[in-house]
Amino acid sequence: MELLNRYLHAIEFWLPKRQRHDIIAELSEDLRSQIEEKESQLGRKLEDGELEAILKRCGSPLTVALRYLPQQYLIGPTLFPIYRFVLAMIVLGCVVPRVLIWLGFLIADPAHSGSMHMENLWMTVVYFAFFTTLAFAVVERSGVRFEDLNTWNPRKLPPARDPNRIPRFSTLCEIAVNTIFLVYFINLFWPRPVIDLYGATISLAPVWQFFFACFVVLAAVNTAFAAANLLRPYWTPLRASLRLLTDVLGGMLLCWLLKAHVLVGIIAPSLSATKAIVVTNLVNLGMTIALPWCIVFVIVILGVNGYRVVRLWRANRTGRPNAPALNDLSNPMVNGN
Amino acid sequence: MSQSTSNHELFENLRLELRRGCLSLAVMSQLRTERYGYTLRKALAEQGLEIDESTLYPLLRRLENQGLLTSVWREEEKRNKRFYRLSPEGKLMLKQLGTEWQKINATLEGIL
Repeated sequence: MELLNRYLHAIEFWLPKRQRHDIIAELSEDLRSQIEEKESQLGRKLEDGELEAILKRCGSPLTVALRYLPQQYLIGPTLFPIYRFVLAMIVLGCVVPRVLIWLGFLIADPAHSGSMHMENLWMTVVYFAFFTTLAFAVVERSGVRFEDLNTWNPRKLPPARDPNRIPRFSTLCEIAVNTIFLVYFINLFWPRPVIDLYGATISLAPVWQFFFACFVVLAAVNTAFAAANLLRPYWTPLRASLRLLTDVLGGMLLCWLLKAHVLVGIIAPSLSATKAIVVTNLVNLGMTIALPWCIVFVIVILGVNGYRVVRLWRANRTGRPNAPALNDLSNPMVNGN
Repeated sequence: MSQSTSNHELFENLRLELRRGCLSLAVMSQLRTERYGYTLRKALAEQGLEIDESTLYPLLRRLENQGLLTSVWREEEKRNKRFYRLSPEGKLMLKQLGTEWQKINATLEGIL
């Protein structure tokens, strides 16, 4: 019976103090009854192996003990989805901007990328995750009831968003901005080495003519795309890929422009020659400093557009609808309206 | 993990889920007369419903905490045993659950 005592002792360890004696007495009685019955069937005492088989069938001490304990959790099923969402947002909010900035500096200015202290990032994430978990655990323990779960109103739910629909308003804004940019840009910066701007004479590097042509072409292409989107306001894999291409080209051109030291000199009536050199250098320096941030911006655009392209191509390949099924509700072909 | 193993696991999970709801009803039905744990398990097993000790005793404890069972420690055959039986509330609950079970059973018979 030594095995049985050891088994019961191991279970006892995990049980709540108040019920320990009661539970062990009852379980012990059951197991002893089983052993006695088996012994009377065999007509002899049980061997260790046979006793072991009975205890093994009963389950490991921890498993048995856990069944007596109330279900316990740090964050319950009601709060858990909210907790997971908040945690993901906080962790992403910590990690993504810092990684992007680090990447921007790594590409544009590798010498300064080390000053971003990436080794602190993981500690920051751990701190945020810890305090978020702690806050949710406190809310769970305090037993706050979420009245919204019982008093919700379907009319107050946010409208369902179709990720493949291109909002008409944003398309109109895009057309307006591109048109204004084209008119303004062509008017002010028609490619020539020297530009007169508000009384100042600005000298630009010869490479400016290349940038000018590229920006004009890109703006015109973007305007044409936007017009097409106005007529058919849904993303398709091809259209999303073209948007990705033009955005990446535009971003790369902008990065290159910031690095190209395109401003050669400024002459203005109120500006001395020395000051003009200082201003020229400052403008070029400002553009160089802006480069890492521009790279970050390009990476973000690449990520957003790239994700859209992958999602659409994947949906296209698998034959699944590339918009959520709930969009079908407004489709008269589906609901028969 | 092979397909057949995962199917078997899925079946086991669903089977346990299906069984879980029925166990309380089965246990309560057997406690119209007073029994202790071991004889209760044997009675259920004889009728085709095997239930292991680590499932039965926590269930009995829960039903007792809910006021559906009463229990008493008593010596029998030179050993202390805990005897359970349905409380008046338990009898009423068993009647209601029995009716509900009949309805579910009839519906499922029709569906299946």
